[in-house]
Amino acid sequence: MNGFLGHTGVLLGFGGAAVGIVVLGVGLARGRGPAMRGARVYAPLILVGGVIAVVAMERALLTHDFSLSYVAANNSRSTPWLYSITGLWSALAGSILLWGVVLGGYATAMVWRFRRRSGDPLVAWATLVVYVVAAFFFGLMLGPADPFKHVAGAVPTNGPGPNSLLQNNPLVLIHPPMLYLGLVGFTLPFAFAVASLITGRLDEDWQGETRRWTLFAWAFLSMGILLGAWWSYQVLGWGGFWGWDPVENAALLPWLVGTAYLHSVMVQQRRGLLRIWNLSLVVAAFSLTILGTFLTRSGVIQSVHSFSESTIGPLLLGFFGLVLCTGVGLIAWRGDRLRSVGGIDAPVSREGAFLANNVLFVGFALVVLLGTVFPLLYEALDNGTQVGVGAPYFNRFFVPAGLALLFLMAVAPALPWRKTTLEVMRGRLAVPAVLGVLVVVVCVLAGVRGVEPLLAFGLGAFAAASAGRALVLSVRGAYRGARSAGASGGRAALTGWRGFVGRANGGMVVHIGVVVVAIGLAAATSYLHRGQLHLATGQAGSFSGHTVEFLGTRVVSSPSHSSYQAVLRVDGGGLFYPAVSQFGAGSATVGTPAIDSSWTNDLYLSIATNPKGAVWAFGVVEQPLVMWLWVGAGIIGFGSVLSAIPGRRRRPTDPVSAPAVEVAPPVASGDSTPVAGPEDRPDVDVDPLPVATGGPS
Amino acid sequence: MSIGTEVDVQAGTVTSPPTPATGRHTARWVAVIALAVCAGLVAVLATRPSAQTVAARSPLVDTHAVAPPIAGATLDGASYRLPRAPGHYVVLNFFASWCIPCQEEGPELVAFQFQHQSTGDASVLSVVFEDTVGDARAYQQKLGVTWPTMADNDGALALAYGVRSDPTSFLISPDGRVVASVTGGATAKGLDQLVARAEASGYGT
Amino acid sequence: MRRHRFPLWTALGAVLVVALVLGSGLLTSSPPTDAQRAAAIESVVRCPTCEDLSVAQSTAPTAVAVRAAVTQQIAEGRSDQQVESYLVERYGSSIVLDPPARGWSLLVWLLPLLGGCAAAVALGVVLFRRRRLSGPDGGRPGPGGPGPDLTPEAAAERRTFLARSLADADAEYLAGDLSDQDYLALRQRDMVRLAALEARTGEAAAVGPAVTQAAVAVDERVPEVGIATAQRAGTAVSTAPGAGARPRLRLRRNTWFLVIGCVCLASALIVAVATFASDRQPGQSATGTFAQTQAQQTEESLAQAATDENQGQVGQAAQLYQSVLHQHPDNEVALAQLGWLEFETGRQGNSASLIADARAKLLRAVRLAPSDYAGHLYLGTLLLQRDGNAAGAVAQYRRFLADGPPAALVGQASPEVRSAFQQAGLPVPAAVAGA
Repeated sequence: MNGFLGHTGVLLGFGGAAVGIVVLGVGLARGRGPAMRGARVYAPLILVGGVIAVVAMERALLTHDFSLSYVAANNSRSTPWLYSITGLWSALAGSILLWGVVLGGYATAMVWRFRRRSGDPLVAWATLVVYVVAAFFFGLMLGPADPFKHVAGAVPTNGPGPNSLLQNNPLVLIHPPMLYLGLVGFTLPFAFAVASLITGRLDEDWQGETRRWTLFAWAFLSMGILLGAWWSYQVLGWGGFWGWDPVENAALLPWLVGTAYLHSVMVQQRRGLLRIWNLSLVVAAFSLTILGTFLTRSGVIQSVHSFSESTIGPLLLGFFGLVLCTGVGLIAWRGDRLRSVGGIDAPVSREGAFLANNVLFVGFALVVLLGTVFPLLYEALDNGTQVGVGAPYFNRFFVPAGLALLFLMAVAPALPWRKTTLEVMRGRLAVPAVLGVLVVVVCVLAGVRGVEPLLAFGLGAFAAASAGRALVLSVRGAYRGARSAGASGGRAALTGWRGFVGRANGGMVVHIGVVVVAIGLAAATSYLHRGQLHLATGQAGSFSGHTVEFLGTRVVSSPSHSSYQAVLRVDGGGLFYPAVSQFGAGSATVGTPAIDSSWTNDLYLSIATNPKGAVWAFGVVEQPLVMWLWVGAGIIGFGSVLSAIPGRRRRPTDPVSAPAVEVAPPVASGDSTPVAGPEDRPDVDVDPLPVATGGPS
Repeated sequence: MSIGTEVDVQAGTVTSPPTPATGRHTARWVAVIALAVCAGLVAVLATRPSAQTVAARSPLVDTHAVAPPIAGATLDGASYRLPRAPGHYVVLNFFASWCIPCQEEGPELVAFQFQHQSTGDASVLSVVFEDTVGDARAYQQKLGVTWPTMADNDGALALAYGVRSDPTSFLISPDGRVVASVTGGATAKGLDQLVARAEASGYGT
Repeated sequence: MRRHRFPLWTALGAVLVVALVLGSGLLTSSPPTDAQRAAAIESVVRCPTCEDLSVAQSTAPTAVAVRAAVTQQIAEGRSDQQVESYLVERYGSSIVLDPPARGWSLLVWLLPLLGGCAAAVALGVVLFRRRRLSGPDGGRPGPGGPGPDLTPEAAAERRTFLARSLADADAEYLAGDLSDQDYLALRQRDMVRLAALEARTGEAAAVGPAVTQAAVAVDERVPEVGIATAQRAGTAVSTAPGAGARPRLRLRRNTWFLVIGCVCLASALIVAVATFASDRQPGQSATGTFAQTQAQQTEESLAQAATDENQGQVGQAAQLYQSVLHQHPDNEVALAQLGWLEFETGRQGNSASLIADARAKLLRAVRLAPSDYAGHLYLGTLLLQRDGNAAGAVAQYRRFLADGPPAALVGQASPEVRSAFQQAGLPVPAAVAGA
């Protein structure tokens, strides 16, 4: 019954996509507006199909229906309901199902958002591309990655349950859906890019739309990646959170390209430049998501994160080739005719900073890509010898690129557009620079050693202060705008919150979040202490200023797992229980660490070796400032939300430093659909001029 | 503010955009080069065997190195030495009781040992790898193993032979050189073929 | 009156450089110890049975075995390269996390460097492209420059872009983001291009008059540029007396709250940093090692030796003390402890030379550190047991008791101390009286 329902859902999704492709194709070829408009209905059909399939699968997992081979392989009678639910995306076929349903959701959102313009060929082409991608993924589920395949032979009475590492921590509930919301979200910008190239319409309005979708997807991808790091930290037992694992890199690559795009699209919106570059970035981001899907699921690269090997590898690789040929081919065909005219006026300007930002992000993304696929390339070149590319290689490039990006983050918010001089910059950046150097000096005096972390702390303070300056100026501008619109002092002060929302200000909050993450990263990786404590029951040992007392052991068992825990008291205070757990009889044991987190450092405790005799070996890792990584992640998420809240609708062409003008909506309203008017902007050391801002167009 | 293309919405067609004003074709050339590079990447990715089957070619085999000597007590207390005279083929098998491929190859090794016991030209030595001695001994007893098993408590033997996964077997020729290695489950037939090939190429008496 | 400008940025730069040099530990570093070399090698060797972890990070048995092998190889005097080859001979080249820099794998190092150079060159070309202003036919083709014949659409596009650029420059200038020179330079450049474009297309299209009007309007404003600047400067005069045409560092009253905010952030950072950095030695980074200062190395060695002694590993402890004495011949802790160890060993093995050596060390220790109780205790015991010199022992024990030793140690030593006093015929001090 579940299998039947699931197959129906998948067929519905595939059918909807296929028919939508045909209808749109006919509509575009013959120029039939009604056909193009009518194809809107197939997107909700895809979504409904996906939802039916998901419901069927969840029902099968929760009722432990072992007639489906997917459930038989990834579920057991003793699996708790939480991990039964997450079993949907714990293995390969289910993850494709999740991809399909998320894509259906995005497709529906897209056709609803553009429902009034569905007769426009641009929208029609974009919808067509989304239907093609949906048809591919649902088609995978009809064939090689069928989640509802009936088990061969007799129906087993019980199953092995999900992978032990996937039932260790509730974060498995959030991380994959967030990640997929991010990765799948890059389909829409790609669809619009292809549509723009085909129809030849590259105007800035469409870029604005695309930018909003990309920001949405990018925010979820950022959260997904950081949650993945947190999950790794809590589960994997070696005390680290990022290992430059091929699967981690596969999610990082689209993120890097997406970040580059979010910055360079601002240049296009303001000055009309970099059109083809932005299109290339969007094509690259989507292609990298498909490549990442291939690397994760094809089995060519070994990784602790990868799904099991299957036959969908060649299909995914073929789709990657198709996507690349389409996107790059279109650019080759049309790109030169659609290039923006004009160029960047001066290197020291915000355009120049964004270009430098792009070069760094894209360059680093290429390095990560090279490092990830290089073992395969080498094997092909050198006839079977193997070589490894690990964390030291990536860190060698990450550290200088990261420091350079911190510097750019500090300088760019103060840079005006078009052209500026060092004099202006010196004036604006004096206070942040003083703060940065002050932080370095204080750290050196406090005994912190090491050039790279010191530079990270200093540049981070510089960047945070510069972002803070931008926010302060923006809040002040909002206040002044309210005052000049006639509000009283208190009311106007309340309106200061408007200085925090909107694209630029949300971006500043995100920058602050990135700085916090960078500082946590620098501290945790540079000042990490790792060691082992050999303790007998009742004995205490000390490690790096902490005392760890081994109180005893206990066994905790539940139907789904049994874990053999050590009871440790840290610093005479809290109790922690690192354990060795077994999920399901006969499966391998996995170590579960225990973490003593505080705002200044984390003490990471794990059982080092299978205990024998009275003396246990505990692995201890002490890392400072790890908690701030997760705080920074929260700030980034918060900043993304702020960025999505519309500020006063601003024209991207308005100057950064223009004074807040009188055309301000009434203070008391929380109007969410503002009419066009200049946004309150941070004003610099200039009082509002009694001159109306000229500037036609 | 769209560029100067006229879009006939009814017809859904697009008139061609203006010719490149500057006569440069940068985008085209960059795109072609990018496409070529990606085609190469796709070709490489398409021809890769699965990572499981590629894992670790042993450098000892590649260089036909002299087998690192083994000397110690077996689990039963007898002493074992390698190289030993008179020499014969030795299958050095690293295993653990909990790994599934080890459990699958166990009967194969028993068969292999049984076949060669009478002729005395090959024997098996098992070494415990990433497992406790108690579990390993119980596993060997359940399997009905008659050949010696050694513990490797400090992991020195596994390091000397470069063992990276369970199970790994090395074929050591009578003159004390490593001639072949099998990662991930040996079969009796496969081992026989390896022995035959080694014989044919001149290792051994 | 021009106020003398404080060279803020030079000062900042100098302070930063000094701080970084001090902070890098270069001035106080020394050649890496064996432990540091081992740690460095362990961070680049892959754990054989894990995915992507180094043996430093992993607790797997194979990782432990590799770490033991690395330590042993280093102790036997092999170089870093030899230790790596030792492992590669057994596990294959993929045991090293870093790809080697030879053969095909050189590509993975070269390609990013070449790519970086290419990117820098491309960036330079895009950003620093000199736009010739010498006329419509001069220099590279830019918007409005020569090239294949322009279609009307392309010409309209360029015209729109130039008009937009001009308007944008106006707005930026009036808002204070562009300086006078920059504004004039940009405007002139775009006007020239516009004129060239008009010349090429040969007609004033519908957009033309509006643009030239705007250009004329802007032109008329040119004489006001100076006035506008003065106006802008004037509003700033109230808080920055003497500010001339060039913007300066101005601290205005209403930016003080910005400064206060920064100070709060800074203090929070200081508190956080000071808390974690106070009783900590910097460890290794993931990408390399720092050298510890000599003092830290000595501390570590002494602590390790004390632990070894407690666990009964006398030989290792003695070795560590010896190594400390090599670097610091006057370290009183090492002298006293090693002297004591030698005395014990010599006593057990009946070696007169060892005991003589011990005596020399202990004498030196008490001379160098008269207030250190350990040396006095040991020397007193040596004098008592070896020489039978009760009076000398008593003198030493008196100093020992006077130096504030811990109660546990006093308890341990009290039998000896009592017997010394009794042999010398002196009253037993209260501190060691009693059972």
